[in-house]
Amino acid sequence: MELNDILQQLNEIFKDILDLDTLVLTPETTARDVEEWDSLSHIQIIVAAEKHFKIRLTAQEIQALENVGDMCKLVQKKSAQ
Amino acid sequence: MNNLIQHIFEKIEELSPIHAKKLKKNLAGFDDLYYERANAFLHKYNQFLMKNDKTMDYAIDCYLKMNADMLAETIDFAHTGKYSSSKFEEVNKRVYANPETMAYYMHGLLLSQFLWKHHYQVYDYYINTLPTYATQVKNYLEIGAGHGLFISKAIEILDPQTRFTVVDVSPTSIDLAKNFIEEGRIHFILSDILDFSEESCYDFVSMGEVLEHVEEPLQLLEKIRIMLTPEGTVFVTTPTNAPSIDHIYLFRNVKEIQALIHEAGFEIVSEQHFLTEDVSLERAEKLNVSIMYGAFLKKRKTNIS
Ligand SMILES: C[S@@+](CC[C@H](N)C(=O)[O-])C[C@H]1O[C@@H](n2cnc3c(N)ncnc32)[C@H](O)[C@@H]1O
Repeated sequence: MELNDILQQLNEIFKDILDLDTLVLTPETTARDVEEWDSLSHIQIIVAAEKHFKIRLTAQEIQALENVGDMCKLVQKKSAQ
Repeated sequence: MNNLIQHIFEKIEELSPIHAKKLKKNLAGFDDLYYERANAFLHKYNQFLMKNDKTMDYAIDCYLKMNADMLAETIDFAHTGKYSSSKFEEVNKRVYANPETMAYYMHGLLLSQFLWKHHYQVYDYYINTLPTYATQVKNYLEIGAGHGLFISKAIEILDPQTRFTVVDVSPTSIDLAKNFIEEGRIHFILSDILDFSEESCYDFVSMGEVLEHVEEPLQLLEKIRIMLTPEGTVFVTTPTNAPSIDHIYLFRNVKEIQALIHEAGFEIVSEQHFLTEDVSLERAEKLNVSIMYGAFLKKRKTNIS
């Protein structure tokens, strides 16, 4: 899957969970930029992304994520396995 | 905000920005009394750390390690719908009997007492209610005292003649509580509570966040009932849906906890529950958000005498 496709799909997941219709994510976006992206929604986003992309992430992988771009790369790597 | 709280918050914001958002909300919502208590605690705790050649940054590191473990357990819980361990021996080996893990876990938990809203609310409930029992309690038992914060308050609140006993299965907890409280009056016993004496002599039993750590919580409550004097009181807290490295018994909702309390022959004198996230009760149930339950209990009188 292309990174850009993943970004678009993640964007939809974020919009849905954070209830932010106009949210536009970029690879550089971090939790510092999106007020609603907190510890509770973080877990929901992860679980929704796992379901959507049919992957399983480990806690270490999740903790290493610095921004949305990292998340896209992780999804790409995991769904290629 | 005082300097120590400010320092803790800034450090966490730097190292764990997502978690810091929750703390920011918590800190903004606390009242003056909270700041008074938190300052007094942090001052004492800081001195304790310094005496042990440690700093507040050590405690923050412990707190973040504990949070990281919880994140891992929460993700696992989302996958399986179960806690990752179901055997006491497994968590005993991995956590209680493991000095390194237990040390960061207990220091982390101690800080959480003043950083997590629901932990502070439980603490507040305890120290506000305990004075009601001040003149009645002669023999106080605390099961799984961990860091010892609750019993340190009980000593301040209850009658100076009261006898205090702690039973905890972890040598690390006992060591930490002993040093943190510096109170010669407490009798510390290293034991699994289920292997402890069955003498009916305690008129107050305090057991914060232990029920979810045993394989059969009903058996534990029944044991406490035996150890309690006829008019004695129990303080118990336990969470629902709270995956953690050492939780083995899963309560899915508050009703399950209440039912167990009744089944063990207790009556609820007062109870509270605190949401661990800032959401409505309805959303909490939908998202399986953990709820911290706390109650004061007494023995239910049977009609047959
Ligand atoms: C989560 S800590 C609770 C600390 C404190 N009471 C509180 O409310 O924050 C649990 C404590 O219970 C102890 N513990 C767990 N299972 C136990 C058992 N079967 N018997 C005695 N202590 C136990 C652990 O060693 C640990 O110190």
